[in-house]
Amino acid sequence: MNPEHDDALKVVDAFDLADELRSILKPGEMVKDAQQRRHRLPRYFYEVPSHEFAMKTRLTPHFGLNEFILTDLKEAPGLLPWPRYVPCAVRMLAFFLEQFRAAAGASVHIAVNGGYRSPSHKMSELASTHMWGTAADIYRIGSTILKTKETIEKYNEIAEDLSDEAQVLPYGHLTGTNADDHVHVDLGYLTLIPREISEDRMEVPQENRPRFAFEDRRRKERRTPPTEGSAE
Amino acid sequence: MSAVEKLPVRPQDDSVAAAEISLYRNVLKLKKEHDLENLGISFFDEETTLQWAYNGDHYFHAASTMKLAVLLAVFRQVEHGELSLDSDVHVRNRFTSIVNQEPFMLDLARDADPNVYGHLGKTLTIRELAYFMITMSSNLATNLLVEVVGITTIQQSLDELGIHGVRVLRGVEDQRAFEAGLNNEVTANGLLSLLRVIADCKAYSKNACDEMLKILLDQQYRSGIPAGLPKAARVAHKTGNISTVHHDAGIVYLENRQPYVLVILTQFAAETGRGSAVADVSRDIFNTISGLAYES
Repeated sequence: MNPEHDDALKVVDAFDLADELRSILKPGEMVKDAQQRRHRLPRYFYEVPSHEFAMKTRLTPHFGLNEFILTDLKEAPGLLPWPRYVPCAVRMLAFFLEQFRAAAGASVHIAVNGGYRSPSHKMSELASTHMWGTAADIYRIGSTILKTKETIEKYNEIAEDLSDEAQVLPYGHLTGTNADDHVHVDLGYLTLIPREISEDRMEVPQENRPRFAFEDRRRKERRTPPTEGSAE
Repeated sequence: MSAVEKLPVRPQDDSVAAAEISLYRNVLKLKKEHDLENLGISFFDEETTLQWAYNGDHYFHAASTMKLAVLLAVFRQVEHGELSLDSDVHVRNRFTSIVNQEPFMLDLARDADPNVYGHLGKTLTIRELAYFMITMSSNLATNLLVEVVGITTIQQSLDELGIHGVRVLRGVEDQRAFEAGLNNEVTANGLLSLLRVIADCKAYSKNACDEMLKILLDQQYRSGIPAGLPKAARVAHKTGNISTVHHDAGIVYLENRQPYVLVILTQFAAETGRGSAVADVSRDIFNTISGLAYES
């Protein structure tokens, strides 16, 4: 990361954000994947103060922060103004893509909506790894627009060979499980908790912290003994 | 020439009726000359309030004239606060057919406009897409905007404004739908009423109409209506071409008079080619209108 901006990249606990942002980012909420497995959405985000900042900040030598947060009108309107937020695990993705770039031998271009997508993004279906900031949809490598089975499979193989953790979508037309105009690569439901953050906060009641309705409901349920007639 | 299309007797005086009949005679002649299978014309002259149509309610394959309806729907959404002209849209060549929801891509080699597909993977704003959809007839921009506003909204905006004779079912180049006979269709009268709501500033707001007119006036394809007019004429228009149709629908602005709105729809056999029928009809109508004596 560019030292000039490294210090300035602020980490935020999404529970501390304003109500509207929390309702968009849904920190800590459980979502199901296609196999009905439950995954908890990320809680710690980088706060990106401005477009200029995003453009200047390099996560790796060849990947700028802006590439991972490019979205269009499918993103929730409340998330479009600056500052914007991206899960801290995006840094792991950038490191992986740097390796991928070297293996591919050409520049790697992430599509708009191809990096982080909030759970409120119109393309966010089930537990997409884009909601963790650990997935990238690559539409172009070097000067090759990825739209044929041959090219997509070629680069899928390169990505898979780099790491056992990397997953790609096979070529095909079924949205969400296949990819026919990009290479989808992801590192799974990876969350990153920055060194300076203590998770004690989750264990200790914080009266000042605004809570979601579901949190209050759960707390109440925990404290209230079952009444007669309630389900076992 | 069929029995119903017998030429009427030319009136002696220089009346509106004479102009109309003269126009009718010329149109039939042009239809024969250009070997057209079908011809639809509708026009309204704001200066003289002369309204005239030939085969005005006959449905034609809309080709790119359907983009006028998309433009209208975009501005509906903008005026309703559902959309901003500055919103970014991901330029992606992947669409869903209305038949079986099968994905399809546009053949970018056939798309008239490199401005849009040069942005694949990146973004263009709604304003830019609307501009390229009309001025360069970009199919990619059109399908992206159709995806943004939705077919239901497009038809809704036509219905709300009382525009009949424009049926929009899908975006463009949906080959599966084409094979299934599911096409966008227009009548000359339908497109005329669409253009008139824009020309008369009755589509949502004056600002919206001004923006739409500005885009339409920048049309780059000028072999239709403008080719039959003096060079000084300004035309806010949209063309439509596929292998068997050539259309143009526009608002014609001439100096020192109110504009007139003109729609010319032509259909021909694939082997005939599109020729210059639209320009010739446009010239005839211009000559007719120019020859009319206006009431003060």
